[in-house]
Amino acid sequence: MTNDTAIASPTAAGSIEVRDLTFAYGRDPVLKDVTFKLDKCAIGLLGPNGSGKTTLLRALLGHLKGASGNIDVLGCDMTVKPHAARKRIGWMPERGGILPDMSGVGMVAYLGELSGMPTTDALQRSHEVLNYVGLADERYRKADTYSQGMRQRLKLAQALVHDPDWLFLDEPTSGLDPSGRVSLLELVRDLARAKGFGVILSTHLLADVREVCEEILVLRKGVLLDHGRVEIDTNGEHEVFIVEGFGDETAFADQLAAAGIPAERQERLWEIAVPRDVGAHRILEAAAATDYALRRLEAKTETLEDLFFRLVDDRSVTPDEGGE
Amino acid sequence: MPVYERGYRHWENSGKKAAPAWWAIARRGIAEPIKSRRLLFLLVIAWVPAIVKGGILYFTFKMGELSRLLGGDWTDVTSAGFHAFLMWQAPFVLIILAIIGANLITKDREDNGLALYFSRPLGLKDYVAGKGAIIMTYYFAVTLFPLYALCIFGYLVTNGATGMEMLIEIPLRGTLYCMLAGTSYALVLLAISSLSTRTAFSVMWWVLLVAGTDALAEIIALFDARLAIMSFPGQFLNGGTLIFGADPNLEGVAPAVSLGMVILYGAAGWLILRRRIRPVEVVS
Repeated sequence: MTNDTAIASPTAAGSIEVRDLTFAYGRDPVLKDVTFKLDKCAIGLLGPNGSGKTTLLRALLGHLKGASGNIDVLGCDMTVKPHAARKRIGWMPERGGILPDMSGVGMVAYLGELSGMPTTDALQRSHEVLNYVGLADERYRKADTYSQGMRQRLKLAQALVHDPDWLFLDEPTSGLDPSGRVSLLELVRDLARAKGFGVILSTHLLADVREVCEEILVLRKGVLLDHGRVEIDTNGEHEVFIVEGFGDETAFADQLAAAGIPAERQERLWEIAVPRDVGAHRILEAAAATDYALRRLEAKTETLEDLFFRLVDDRSVTPDEGGE
Repeated sequence: MPVYERGYRHWENSGKKAAPAWWAIARRGIAEPIKSRRLLFLLVIAWVPAIVKGGILYFTFKMGELSRLLGGDWTDVTSAGFHAFLMWQAPFVLIILAIIGANLITKDREDNGLALYFSRPLGLKDYVAGKGAIIMTYYFAVTLFPLYALCIFGYLVTNGATGMEMLIEIPLRGTLYCMLAGTSYALVLLAISSLSTRTAFSVMWWVLLVAGTDALAEIIALFDARLAIMSFPGQFLNGGTLIFGADPNLEGVAPAVSLGMVILYGAAGWLILRRRIRPVEVVS
C-alpha cells in the first residue's frame, strides 16, 4: 500500500490543477479548454443545468476516458493513476448513491473498506461520521428506507468515512426542504471552514455557494467563464452609484461629463462611475450646480447573482467560444 | 444538535492491514444472502444428492454387487461417477446462481451504486473479482464442496477406490473443472446482470440462457446431433467429461470443442463487462 501515509495524514495540504481540459461525448463537446488551479478551500462550481459541472467532477475523479489536457489532483495524474488520489477524495453523487439492502452504518463501513480502511477502523469511523451528520439514531435502519434528507446526510457520511482531503459534492441540497437544506449546508460549511476540508460544491443554487464557499468556478456550455473569490471586488478604481432625481437631465449629465465622470442613463436611473478617491462628492456638486433635485443616491454593489447572470448571459458568450 | 456540539475527529489509522477491495466486496456479498432462511433451505436441499450418493456408497460396501446393479451412476466411485454427480447438481446451479448472481450488478446500476464504487480506489478488475467470487463461492457450495465431502466419505466407506483416487485424483479433477466452469458461469452471469437495471430481466435472461438453450438444443439435436452445441449448460458438462475422463455427453460435439466453448463464454462475458461497467451516473 503505497499511499497509506497519505491516508494517515489527511490534513496534508493538496491542490488541484487542471490544464486545457477538453472532453466530448461523441461529437458534443462538454468541456472546452478548461484551466484552473485550486488550493484547499471551499469552491462553488456554478453553472446552469448542462453546463458540464458533473462532467468536470468526474474528470477530477479520473472517470473520463479520452479527455485531453492535464488533470492533477493531489499530485496524481488522474488520467493515468487515479487510485492514489481517490483515497483522499470523498465523492457525493447527485443521483442515487445508496446501496440497497444495507443499514446506514453497514453501507458507510463497507465503503470505508473499499477506500482502503481496515475493517475495524471502517466500522468505528462509520459510527463517528454518522453521529456527526446527525444520523446516529437511524444508523441501523435500512438505507433505502431513509427520507431524502437522511439520504443526503448518509451520502455525505460515506464521502467522509475515510477522512479525505477533498470533498466533491454534486448538488448536495437537491430535493431537500428548507430546513434540511440549511442543516446540510451548515455541515458542509463546518467541514470547509472549521475542519480543514477542501470542498468543491457543484450546484446551480447561488444561495448555497454564498452560504459555504470562498471561491467560485463558473461554467457555461463547458467553458470556464470565471474563477475568483465569492466576495465581489470592492477595491477597484471606480465606484458605481445609482442616482435618481428631478430637473434638467441634460445639464446634469453635461456637468458630470465636464468633470470627467461618465453617466449612463438606465430608464429612470443614472448609473455613474466615479473615481473611488472622489466618491459621491462630485455627483452632489454637479446636482447642486444644475439644480438637479436628488431623490436617490446609493452605491451599487455587485452581488453573486449579478456576477453569475452577467457571466452566463447568452449575449455575453457564444456557444462556440472556446476560452475564458 | 448543532454541528459544533457534535464535533468531528479526523481518522487515526490503527495500522491494521486493510483487506483488498475485491475481498471486501466478496465477503459482504457472500455473508449477506446467508441471512435468508429460504436460501439456506435451498442449499441444504442441494446437498441431498450428495447425501443420497454417500448413503448408496455405504450400502454398496455393505451389500456388495447387488446394490451396484441397482444403483448405476450413484454407486460409481470412479471419476466418471463423480462427473455424473455434478450433472445432477445442474438444476441447483441454475436456481441458486439465479438467486445469488442475477442482481449483483443490476442492483448497483439501478441505484447508481457504481458511482460510489468507482469513486473509491478500485478498478474494474477488483469489482468483477469481488462480485465473481460471490458467485463462485455459491457455485462451489453446491458442486465442489459436496464433491470433496463425497470423496472423503467414499474413501472411508468403500473398498473399491484407493486413497490416491479418492483423496487426490478426483478432488483435483473436480477442482479444475469447477474452477473453470465457475469462472465462466460467473463472468456470463455478471455480464447478464450488467445488461439491465431490473432484477427480473436479469433472472429471465439467465433462465433462458441455461434452461432455454438446453431445451432448444434437445429438440433440434434430434435432426442434427451437432446442433447440441447450442445448449449452454450442455457445453459445461460435455467439456467436463474431458477433465473427468468420462464418456461424452453430447453425441455430435467433441468434449474439447465444448471446453473451448466454455472458455469462449467466459471471454465473451468479460468483454461485455468491460463495455457495460462504467463509473457513470444513470441519468434519468
